[in-house]
Amino acid sequence: MFEHVEAFYRPATIREALRLLRAGNGEARIVAGGTDVIVDADRSIRFLIDITNAGLTYIRRDKGTYRIGATTTMAEIEDSPKLRSMANGLLNQAAATCGSVQNRNLATIGGNLAHGSPAADTVTALLALDALVVIASERGQREVPIADYLAGPHKGLLTEITIPAPPAGKRTGWSFQKLGRTAIDVALVNVAAGFQLDARSRVKWAKIALGSAAPTPVRAVQAEQILTGRLLDTNAIGEAAEAVTKSINPITDVRATSAYRRQMSSVLTARALHECAAQAGVSK
Amino acid sequence: MTTMELRFTLNGTPLAWEIGPGDLLLDVLRREGYYGVKRGCEKGECGACTILLDGKPVNACMVFAAQAEGRAIITIEGLAHDGELDPLQIAFLDRGAVQCGFCSGGMLLSARALLNHNPDPTEAEVREALGGNLCRCTGYIKAIEAVLDVAARREATK
Amino acid sequence: MIGANVRKVDGVKLVTGGAAFTDDINLPGLLYGKILPSPHAHARIKRIDTARAKALPGVHAVLTYKDVPRVPHTTAGQAWPEPSPYDTYLLDSKLRFVGDRVAAVAAETRAIAERAIELIEVDYEVLPAVLDMEQAMADGAPVIHDEPDAKNIHDAAHNIAGYILRQIGDVDQGFLESDYIFEREFRTGRQQHTPLEPHVTICWLDPDGRLVIRSSTQVPYHCRRQVAMILQIPVSQVHVIKPRIGGGFGGKQEMLLEDITAALTLAARRPVKTEYTREEEFYMARSRHPQILRMKMGVKRDGTIVASHLKVISTTGAYGSHATTVQGNTGSKVLPLYRAPNIRFECHVVYTNAPVAGAFRGYGCPQGFFAQESLVDEISHELGMDPVEFRRKNMIRLGDVDKLSAQLGEGKEGLPRVIRSCGLPECLDRGAQAIGWSTKKRGLGMACSMQGSGIAGIDWASAFLKMNEDGSFYLQVGASDVGAGADTVLSQIAAETLGVTLDKIIITSGDTDITPFDVGAYASSTTIISGGAVKKAAEKVRTQVLGLASKMLDTPADQLTWANNSVCANGKSVTMSEIALQALYREKFQIMDGASHFNTDSPPPFCATFAEVEVDTETGQVHVLHLASAVDLGKAVNPMQAEGQVEGAVTQGLGYALTEELLLDEAGHPRNANFMDYKIFSAKDMPKLTTILVETHEPLGPYGAKSVSEVPINGVAPAIANAIFNATGIRITKLPIHPEDLVTPPLGGQKVTPPSGGRSVTPPSGGRRN
Repeated sequence: MFEHVEAFYRPATIREALRLLRAGNGEARIVAGGTDVIVDADRSIRFLIDITNAGLTYIRRDKGTYRIGATTTMAEIEDSPKLRSMANGLLNQAAATCGSVQNRNLATIGGNLAHGSPAADTVTALLALDALVVIASERGQREVPIADYLAGPHKGLLTEITIPAPPAGKRTGWSFQKLGRTAIDVALVNVAAGFQLDARSRVKWAKIALGSAAPTPVRAVQAEQILTGRLLDTNAIGEAAEAVTKSINPITDVRATSAYRRQMSSVLTARALHECAAQAGVSK
Repeated sequence: MTTMELRFTLNGTPLAWEIGPGDLLLDVLRREGYYGVKRGCEKGECGACTILLDGKPVNACMVFAAQAEGRAIITIEGLAHDGELDPLQIAFLDRGAVQCGFCSGGMLLSARALLNHNPDPTEAEVREALGGNLCRCTGYIKAIEAVLDVAARREATK
Repeated sequence: MIGANVRKVDGVKLVTGGAAFTDDINLPGLLYGKILPSPHAHARIKRIDTARAKALPGVHAVLTYKDVPRVPHTTAGQAWPEPSPYDTYLLDSKLRFVGDRVAAVAAETRAIAERAIELIEVDYEVLPAVLDMEQAMADGAPVIHDEPDAKNIHDAAHNIAGYILRQIGDVDQGFLESDYIFEREFRTGRQQHTPLEPHVTICWLDPDGRLVIRSSTQVPYHCRRQVAMILQIPVSQVHVIKPRIGGGFGGKQEMLLEDITAALTLAARRPVKTEYTREEEFYMARSRHPQILRMKMGVKRDGTIVASHLKVISTTGAYGSHATTVQGNTGSKVLPLYRAPNIRFECHVVYTNAPVAGAFRGYGCPQGFFAQESLVDEISHELGMDPVEFRRKNMIRLGDVDKLSAQLGEGKEGLPRVIRSCGLPECLDRGAQAIGWSTKKRGLGMACSMQGSGIAGIDWASAFLKMNEDGSFYLQVGASDVGAGADTVLSQIAAETLGVTLDKIIITSGDTDITPFDVGAYASSTTIISGGAVKKAAEKVRTQVLGLASKMLDTPADQLTWANNSVCANGKSVTMSEIALQALYREKFQIMDGASHFNTDSPPPFCATFAEVEVDTETGQVHVLHLASAVDLGKAVNPMQAEGQVEGAVTQGLGYALTEELLLDEAGHPRNANFMDYKIFSAKDMPKLTTILVETHEPLGPYGAKSVSEVPINGVAPAIANAIFNATGIRITKLPIHPEDLVTPPLGGQKVTPPSGGRSVTPPSGGRRN
């Protein structure tokens, strides 16, 4: 399949990886988990640059910021106790739905982002978490809000995802919902949502992100606005769930019709918000 | 075509093989006679090529052979020890969890990896562990029962 | 040995990764074969130039239609003369579906072969294509088989590969006599077998110049005959070897890659391997016939079925493999489940420019039972009858004669079927009990089904046994173990008959040089027909054994008993090994014999399938909570293996009902030829399964056995559809069941799929009376 590949590199540093990428002159490809590169089967590749040895596999907490290296696998994220205490384990949940055990042991969070599928489950969660993406180039590195990254394209190497720790505590709730045709599937629709309530059950802030409902995962800004400041009850949830349809533009493909995705976006959002409510201690 | 050397441990034995830089691990393993690693889809979707990479189940069709450098790989050929079948292999045979056998090698390795790090799994955890091993013959039920049975018997002998 | 849950005799090598399957060998000089698939659904080759491909270093053969003999044939693995149209050619200048063979190459590596097919230059005359089966039959539709040398096509000008009309009694009169008439149209989808091992064939020439074919096939003998005919070489010069098979399910009841691989081998004079990628397997192999079924039933007020009329339109895709035989089953195995005195079955099997349909577990029955069991459920509901009681009232019974079968054999006049064993009443009792039919409140549904065990008067098998000095026997059978455990079950039958332990039977199967003839693994024939041959052969060998033992023990043969590798009489005994040594070295003869066997009837196994479902009305998704299958298989030779077959069949039935469909775009290209978008059930998707083996004694089967491998697939889709109706009131008439059709409220601007072409009668209080 990759019979034209002339060399396989395993750089020990990002700088070396970038140098090799430049030297490859368009015919080099970065590989980490391999699950996208191999499936894409691009026979024109002449150089492969494996970055899994370049020190990008880590999950750290630096005071108020979580940092996840780009080559951290879905399995490592799913099992991470450190991440489980962030946003009630939203990212762990999202990672846990990415394919099978075998897929998750190879697939990386950086790869999931870089491949750019609107169905990428962790990306929806990252969008709800207002994550930032660190991109390294030979000139240095910069940090880009994930929404800007998704609007892409970006030259350089994705090296880290940073997540400002959202407020924790009893009045917060987070939920990840995904709809598939079978238990292991690409998302027909996915939703990542979270909110925090004040002492009187009013929504201090709400984040709702949807995947597989538009060319990239999107934040449902209007729905979030409906909730902000509002008493959290079933009506509020219903209105917000209905309002997400304004932020999305789903397609019809071999997996589902646009109409189904549209309706399921509301259904999943409502379920996500109810689950958040249960976590936040609101009695229904 | 350029070649490179791959040095890794396979079923407990350190080896050095000549490989092409773009070779896929599945192709290299079968080329070297490890026919137990099956080719079912070449897209990481069916699990017939499941191997253990440093103890973790992965699809060999999704790994470049060069990425195995310095790592430990177990294929189904390495599951039995010194001619003695693994309890999972025995349970699969005794409980009728093997029909055509094409998926069995991969499924056994996924089960072995599960029990190695979670010796007392729930049924849901067993289903999750086997979720990436597609089978068209058995309906999975007897395989799930076999794994739970092996786990229960090990717990009982503790 | 009969009824023993022994381990599969090939089990250890399967769990240790032993080199057992077709591709698990390394031949020096092996070349890689590759087919150039047609990019068009319907086209002629105006010009084809292989010069650049041939010039590529590493390419050893390139074949087009100009290089090979043109011999019309069918690829269906059926007994000769096959009832399917002879409408297929090794390579042709006309292409009839996306994926049809344009050319083939053999090269030193896979990469070179893939590059070589890209270098073949082809000018196509693209022709209008037709994908819709009703449009394909209409006047003015593009004619797919306009070649003059095709044979056995019913009406090529209208793309009708086959037509079937059979009746018993007079349905028109029957409808006049009915109190209520119900009618509905159903549609079923294109399911693909997805064996974990895709089709693969390796060919080479042995030192005597004979063609050796090592292939993943259910039908080694049919392959041998067909390849010999297509390549115009004598059958005796072809040797087919069937190793372990990674699943077939009917998709390998076909001569698929053997002919082209053999042709490449003859051209290159080197071994050649051709294997399908998973993508090619989806649309260049075979799949289940999609059908439109219009079913009409007339009943009396008390629920007695008076008349039953099934009209089917089916598409066989671009070629007519199994075209009339699969559809024949849709009538002959489905309608006689109920004792209606008036039955009419009419079917058109139509060509379309789509992937070719073929044999698939159930063989026409899943489609037919979906329609019949759904309609019967609707009738029960309308009449206010328990669906189980409706079945009991109308279903076939022990001693009945099924006359429809007499009209529908494998494409020709069959033989009437007598029901000599029938556990269906017990299947209903035990299945209903297992699911909680009278106690549970969620959505419950059920269906009955039956199948056959071998094709009456056509399927046959032979077996040969010879004895070794350690008291063991080599058992040679033509039967094909496709993974279901035939080798094990046949060994058990031999061991039981000879009175030896299982380890004393060494079996070789599916090698046309070594094993005697067997039609192959299909039509649920292996246990009953191949097993029948094994039992007969073992009885003949036992006679020789006992004859010698009688001399050795100085006792008349009729006073001897045999068990546990010994023969005994009056406190004296002699071991099998002693008998063998006596024969081989003193008496100087080889204890050996063989036998052939066929049946003139096809005893049906029966199945009652019960489903409990929960419908998530907001998403429309159906969760099957529990599926119980009660199967009358006659005597279970190996109950554990039999359960496994039930569970595997049910799992394919679940996919057929809920998730599986090979989709084509308007130009006939496959849209989901991969496991990401063609969803089969994984371990995470499985509901709770209850498998109940109901044993009866079938006089025509060895030790009372019938069959088990197909029948459990038939009732799954209708049981689930009926359970959905029970839970939601929504009647599903199309497979696979889409969540989009069950969502509440219905999708904005989209109607719930209405039942088309049929209407049910209003309830008894205002029913349409005659």
